[in-house]
Amino acid sequence: MTKYVNLQTFLFILPAIVLVGTFVYAFSIWNVFISLTDWRGLVTRIRFVGLENYLKLVSDPVAQKALINTFLLALTFIPLTMLIGLVVAILLDLELKGTSIFRTIFLLPLSFSFVVSATMWTWMFSPEQGTINSLLRLLHLNFLCQPWITSTEQSLWCILLVYVWQFSGYVTIIYYSGIRSIPKEHIEAAEIDGASTFDKYRYVVIPQLKGETVGVLTILLFYALRVFDLVYLLTGGGPALSSEVLATYMYRITFNQNLFAYGASIGTLIFVIALAIMVPFLILSRRR
Amino acid sequence: MNGRKILAYVVTVVACALYLLPMYTMVNVSLKSPEDLIWGPVIPTRRLYLDSYLQAWEEISEPFFNSIEMTIPATVISTFLGSISGLGFYRAKFKWKELLLFLIVLGFYVPPQAVLIPLVRFLANIGLYGTIPGLVLTHVAYGMPITTLLFRNYYESIPKEILDSAEVDGASLMTLYRSILFPLSLPGFAVVSIFQFTNIWNEFLFALVLSRGKGSQLVTVAIANLKGTTLAAWNVQMAGALIGAVPVVIFYIFATKMVIKGLMAGAIKG
Repeated sequence: MTKYVNLQTFLFILPAIVLVGTFVYAFSIWNVFISLTDWRGLVTRIRFVGLENYLKLVSDPVAQKALINTFLLALTFIPLTMLIGLVVAILLDLELKGTSIFRTIFLLPLSFSFVVSATMWTWMFSPEQGTINSLLRLLHLNFLCQPWITSTEQSLWCILLVYVWQFSGYVTIIYYSGIRSIPKEHIEAAEIDGASTFDKYRYVVIPQLKGETVGVLTILLFYALRVFDLVYLLTGGGPALSSEVLATYMYRITFNQNLFAYGASIGTLIFVIALAIMVPFLILSRRR
Repeated sequence: MNGRKILAYVVTVVACALYLLPMYTMVNVSLKSPEDLIWGPVIPTRRLYLDSYLQAWEEISEPFFNSIEMTIPATVISTFLGSISGLGFYRAKFKWKELLLFLIVLGFYVPPQAVLIPLVRFLANIGLYGTIPGLVLTHVAYGMPITTLLFRNYYESIPKEILDSAEVDGASLMTLYRSILFPLSLPGFAVVSIFQFTNIWNEFLFALVLSRGKGSQLVTVAIANLKGTTLAAWNVQMAGALIGAVPVVIFYIFATKMVIKGLMAGAIKG
C-alpha cells in the first residue's frame, strides 16, 4: 500500500521535476558550457577557450557600467516602492470613502504589460510633445521641463520612476490587507492609551507587518533581478549606455552582435547574482 | 471630518491623479485625430476619432490572435500540471521532499537570461523554435515552480480531516484528486489561472526571442514594433497598446478579488 502510494506520488511530481530540471537547471549548466567556448555568429567550428570570456567580462567597461546600473536600480526601486506602497496603504486604512476605487486605481498599473507601460511613458517623457513637459508648460512652469529619457543623467531615474509607478500599487495591496488583518483590540488599546495616529502606525501597526514585508520583498527582488523590459523598451540602454543593465547588455551581445559565448557568460553572471541573493533570502525567510 | 482626514483625502486624490496620468495620456491620445495631435497629449481630444483603432487593429490583429492561441493552452496546461504536482508535494513523504520543493521553487527566481541561449538552441533542435507550441512549452515549463507552489499552499489550507477520511477509505491519489480535491480547489484554479494568464499574456522577452515572422508574433512584440516604427503615428501606437492591454485589464477591473488573491498567494508564501 505505502509503496503503491509512493510510486503514485512520484508520478505526480514527475512533470515538475522533468520540466524544471530541464528548462532551469540543465539549461543553466548548458549555458555555462557555452560560455566556455568561442561560439559566435555563423562560425561552425567551436573551440573550448576556458575562462577567456569571463576574463574579458571582468575588464569590460560596458559590463561594469551595466552591473552598477543593475544594482543602482534594484537598490532604489525596492525601498522606494515599498515606502510609497506602505504610505498609500496607510492612507487607504484611514477609512476614506471610495477605498475600493482608490485601490483599483493604484493596482491598475500592475495590469499593464511592460510594453504597454513603456508606450505610455515614452510619451509621458518625450521632451518636445510629452505629457509631463506639456503639462509644465501649460502651468507656466517651463523652467521645470526636463530632457527625461533623452538625457544621460536622467534616463536611469526615468526607468526607476516607471518601475515604482508600476509596482507600488502591488505593495499597497499586500500591506493594506496586512493592516486590515491586525486584531482590532491591538489598535484600540493604543488609541485608548492616547497614541497619536503616527505613533499608532509606527509602534503598533508597522511592527506587525513583518510577514507582508518579507513577501513583498521577495516579489520585488524577483523583478529587480530580471530588469530588462522597461530598459529595453524605453531607452534601449541609452543614451550612450547611461541606462544599460546586465540583461539588456546580454541581449544586445547575444542577439544583435551574435557573440553567443560572450552573451552566455553574462547570462551566467546574472544567474550567479540572482542565486547569491535569493538562496540565502529564501532560506532565512522560511526559517522565520 | 477633521483636518487630518481632509489632508489624507487630498493626498490620496492627488496620488490617484498622478497614477492615472499615463493612462489618461494613452486613452486621450489614442482618440485624437492627426490634426488634433498637434495640441499635445494633455488637452482633451475634441472628438472621438476611432480611425486610429482601426489602423492599429490592422497591424496587431494577427499577433493578438496568436497571443490568444498561445496564452490559453499555456495557462490551462500549466495550471493543470501545477495542481497535479502541488498535490504530489502536498502528499509526498520522502526524505528529500523539502529540498526538492525548494529547488523547484528556486527555479522561479532564475532570470531568463541565464537560460535564454540554450532555450533557443533546444527549441530549434526539436523543431519548435518560432512556433506557438514552442512558446506554450516554454511558458508551461517556467510556470511550473509558481503553479506548483500555489497549489501546494492551497491544498494545505484545506482541512486535513476531509482528506484523511478519504484516504482511510483506500482512495488512490487520482481518485482523491478527481473526487475531492478538484471540486474543492475550483477557487484555487480560478486564482492560479488568472495569475498565469496575466503573466503569460504580458510576457515580453520570450515573445521577442522565440517568435519568428508574423506566424508566431505575439501582441506584446507587435505593440513594441508599432512603437519602434516612425510610420505609426502616436495615436495608432496608443490605440494598439490599449487593445493589447484589454484582456488583462478586464480581469483586474472585474475580478479584482481573484487577482488580489493570486498576487497575495504569490507573495505571502513565496
